[in-house]
Amino acid sequence: MNPVIALIVDDEPLLRERLRAHLGTVWPALSRIDDARNGPEALELFELHRHQVVFLDIHMPGLNGIDTARALARRAHLVFVTAYEQYAVQAFEQGAVDYLVKPVDPARLADTVERLQRQLAGPLRADAALDAMLDQLAGRLGQRVRPQQWLQWIKASVGNSVRLIPVEQVHFMRADDKYTLVAWEEGEALIRKSIRELIEQLDPEHFVQTHRSVIVNLRCVSEVVRGINETAEIHLRGHDEVLPVSRTYLHHFRQM
Amino acid sequence: MGFALLLSWFLSVMSRTPYPDVFGRIGFIALVLLLTYSAAGKLKPRWLSAGAARLGAVILMAPVAALVTALVTQRGNFVAYLAKTETLVGHVFLVVLSVIFGVLFSLVAMRNERKGRERADRLQIELEKNNLERELLDARLRLLQAQIEPHFLFNTLANVEALVAAGSPNAGPVLRHLIAYLRAAMPRLSDNDATLDAELQLVRAYLELMHLRIPDRLQFTVTPVPNAATLRFPAMALLTLVENAVRHGIDPGMEGGRIDVGGQWDDASGRLTLWVSDTGAGMSETAQPGTGLTNLRSRLKAFYGPTARLDLHDVTPHGVRVELNFLPGEPP
Repeated sequence: MNPVIALIVDDEPLLRERLRAHLGTVWPALSRIDDARNGPEALELFELHRHQVVFLDIHMPGLNGIDTARALARRAHLVFVTAYEQYAVQAFEQGAVDYLVKPVDPARLADTVERLQRQLAGPLRADAALDAMLDQLAGRLGQRVRPQQWLQWIKASVGNSVRLIPVEQVHFMRADDKYTLVAWEEGEALIRKSIRELIEQLDPEHFVQTHRSVIVNLRCVSEVVRGINETAEIHLRGHDEVLPVSRTYLHHFRQM
Repeated sequence: MGFALLLSWFLSVMSRTPYPDVFGRIGFIALVLLLTYSAAGKLKPRWLSAGAARLGAVILMAPVAALVTALVTQRGNFVAYLAKTETLVGHVFLVVLSVIFGVLFSLVAMRNERKGRERADRLQIELEKNNLERELLDARLRLLQAQIEPHFLFNTLANVEALVAAGSPNAGPVLRHLIAYLRAAMPRLSDNDATLDAELQLVRAYLELMHLRIPDRLQFTVTPVPNAATLRFPAMALLTLVENAVRHGIDPGMEGGRIDVGGQWDDASGRLTLWVSDTGAGMSETAQPGTGLTNLRSRLKAFYGPTARLDLHDVTPHGVRVELNFLPGEPP
């Protein structure tokens, strides 16, 4: 059998060192152990040396543990390492892949090593269960990131700093020459984004265009007064400004 | 409103002159004035207030409407009708009555309208107040729940274990940081005993622990703030911001960055600005704002009064700077 080499992937140096020390004791036959700080580094090293065994932290910067696992799954034996990731542990317990919990218990690691040695004797199986588990894990961890992509922050120069204004604090936006005026709870600012760009990026549930040059936050509207000739005027809560509604956009307020 | 106006109009005038034809004429005038009242509110020119427009229109329309009724009822006799003193007096009387009642009922209607608006405004204010109270209660409840993230705790413990196993002299200090962090992060009943000094120590303990874990990716400074020892400060407020900076700024990037925590008094206004600034990944314009910032904002306002602010700024080339600005002397 070829000499076995292993790769440890973790962004925390002390934990890499600790696992390396444990492996040195439990698996003295390992001819070499490499270190990587993140997913891309791990893949680069793997391409160079083709480690048979990879210990992989799930929570990592850059390419995350799951994507790294996908890239390695059919070419190396994987062991996941995690401190506490409730969903991850649930997924592992279904048995598709071995996992270790930090801090690593030497006795538990010995079991893992024994299992790995048995697997190394046979061929690397293409495991559909592993793929399924990775999908499931990605889905569960992904729950923390919402897919929705509406604009949530307006970046605007105020004084000599760039403010990040939460869109829910914005009252209205109005085209102003080459710029767009943003009026929000604490004042007004000019931004470069056009009304046309903004209306496509803002959540239509809360923001509507009322005029060629005006977008209003529906949560701030106190009154819509119908005028002559299919137009209207919008009065805002806590704001003296009266905004126009032109004929083209009046349909937003038909039911109101 | 319109119906009541019409009806009362009828009744009051009826009691004086209960003749069928007068009844008809009064009804017609009332109808015209009612329409005038409604139309004047909608079609008024910009420079005129709704009230003035309505009153003016009603006063103008009353004689016109009376004249029309005279024309219709008298037809051929119209000129004779106006020439005869007796009927002319009657007509003038009718006009005067129309104007008086028209104005009277317009005023009543406008008063009702105003009262309705005031009631709606009151309800709105009430609703906002309720929302604010609920948010505050939510924030308190969260404060009572344990704030320690298991992922952070177990990773840190794994690092401590590694230090102990290696016989590192760092093990002791690191454990002390962890204890300080845990003590501060334990659930508490009220904000009243917390000071800015304690908060800065907590933040320092947390950052020391994070720096131990990822020394190559996280640098930090925590600058002392004058008078922090006696300044009451809502517990965990700065820590929330620092945790955010680590989670959203430092964690996602392979390069990491630095976090600076500090504060500055403005002598003129007596206000204090505290900041947590990072050079991490920065905020995407579509990043979902967590409930953390909103809660923190309402807690600050509850603690230091409505002038307390929480602002976010973009850091060039990348990163986020969060500033808290408040007047510590203000009553809650």
